[in-house]
Amino acid sequence: MSAEEHVFDLLPSYALDCLDEDETILVSEHLAVCVDCRAELSACQFTVDQLALAQPETVPPPELKTRLMERIQPAPSTDQARLSWRDAFAIFLRHTAPAWGAAGLLLLLVLGVSNIWLWQRVNQQEESQSDIMRTVALSGTEVIPDASGLIVISLDGEHGTLVVDGLPPLDESHQYQLWLIDDGQRQSGGVFSVDQEGYGALWVSSPKPLSDYSAVGITIEPAGGSPGPTGDRVLGGSL
Amino acid sequence: MALRLVNYSTLTDETLIRLIVRSQPDALSVLYDRYSRLVFSLALNIVGDRATAEEITLDVFTRIWEKAATYQPDQAKVSTWLTRITRNRSIDVLRKHSSRPEWHSVSWANVTDEAMPNHHNPEDITELAVQQARVRAAMAQLPEEQQQALALAYFKGYSHRQIAEILDQPLGTVKTRIRLAVQKLRQILQDE
Repeated sequence: MSAEEHVFDLLPSYALDCLDEDETILVSEHLAVCVDCRAELSACQFTVDQLALAQPETVPPPELKTRLMERIQPAPSTDQARLSWRDAFAIFLRHTAPAWGAAGLLLLLVLGVSNIWLWQRVNQQEESQSDIMRTVALSGTEVIPDASGLIVISLDGEHGTLVVDGLPPLDESHQYQLWLIDDGQRQSGGVFSVDQEGYGALWVSSPKPLSDYSAVGITIEPAGGSPGPTGDRVLGGSL
Repeated sequence: MALRLVNYSTLTDETLIRLIVRSQPDALSVLYDRYSRLVFSLALNIVGDRATAEEITLDVFTRIWEKAATYQPDQAKVSTWLTRITRNRSIDVLRKHSSRPEWHSVSWANVTDEAMPNHHNPEDITELAVQQARVRAAMAQLPEEQQQALALAYFKGYSHRQIAEILDQPLGTVKTRIRLAVQKLRQILQDE
C-alpha cells in the first residue's frame, strides 16, 4: 500500500485494537510511510483514551490501599530478625570481651591493610575501563517489564553496540527499531531481531556521535524499520 | 528533609511520578487516592469480577511503583498512562481465563451520573470530574447501537468479527458503527 492510499477508515478501530490481524498488519505498514495517517491515528487514540471516563464507577474497598502500601514496603520481620541477631552478638561480645580484645585489634589491623590494597586495585581497574568505553543500561517499559538492554559506547562517543535480552521474538513482518532521541527529535539507530531466547545485538549507526543524544528508545516496527516510531515502546534509557 | 514539609496532595501527577521514581511511598499513596477508583472501575468493567479487579488494581499501582522511571510525559498524561496499562492488563486477564461476561453486562455510565466525591481531597477530583462529565455527555449523543458496539470493543477487547457474531449483525455494519462512534466523539470533544 502506498502513502497515497490512506487508511483513515480503519484508524478508529486500530486505536481500539479491534481490527483483525491482517488489517492490523496492513495499517501498521501504511503508518510507517504516511505522516497524514499517523497524525489521524494520534487524534483517534486521544479519543479512545477518553473512553475510560465514560465508564460506570465503583469504589474500591478501603483495605486495598493498605494491601498496596504493605506490598511496596520492605517486610518488617526481616529487620526484627536482624536486630535479634545483633542483640545476641552484642551480648556474646560483652561476655567475652577480655579474651577477644587483643585478637580483635590484630584482625582490624589486617582488615584495614587489605582493604586499602583492594581499594587501590579496584580504582586501577575502573580507570582502565573508563579509558575505553562507558555503558548505559536500558529498562523495559510497561509493555515488556522484564526486558533489559545495554549500550556500550566508545569513550569518544562515536561508536556503540546495543545488546538486549528478554524481548519476545517477533513475526517475520516486524522488527525492533532503536531510536536516538535529541531535543524531542527521534532518529533511527538501526533495526534488529532477537533469537528464540530473546537475545539480540546491534551495531549502532548514527549521523552524529552518540554522546550528542539525550536518550534512546526501542519500539516494535514493520520489518525494515519506520521513518518514525509507530509501535509499542519496549525499552528505553537516558544517555 | 524539605520534602517532609510538602503537602503531597497539592502536587501535580507528573511531580508525584518523579517522587515515586525516588521511592517516596507518600507520593504513591496520593496517586492511588486520585486514580484508584478510575483504575479499579475500569478493571471491574472489563473482567466483571471484584476479586480479580482488586488484584489488577494492585498490579497496576505496583507496576507504577517499580517502573515509574519509564513514564514519558510527552507521550501521555499520567491518567492516560494508568488507564492504558489497566485496560491492557485487564483484557490480557480476560483472554487468559476466557471468562468473558455476557455482552449485556457492558454499558457506559449514565450522563446524569456525577463523579463521586473524593474523601481524601475534594479538590483533586475537580478536573477529573469535569472531564468525566464532558465525555459522558458526548457518549450520550451517540445512537444506542454505536454505544453498544463501542463498549464491546473497548471493555472486552473483541474484534470486529466477534462483535458482529455477538450482536448478530453484518461485519460491515459493525465496522461502520465503531468508526462513526469514534469519529462523532472526537468531533464533539474537539468542538467543546
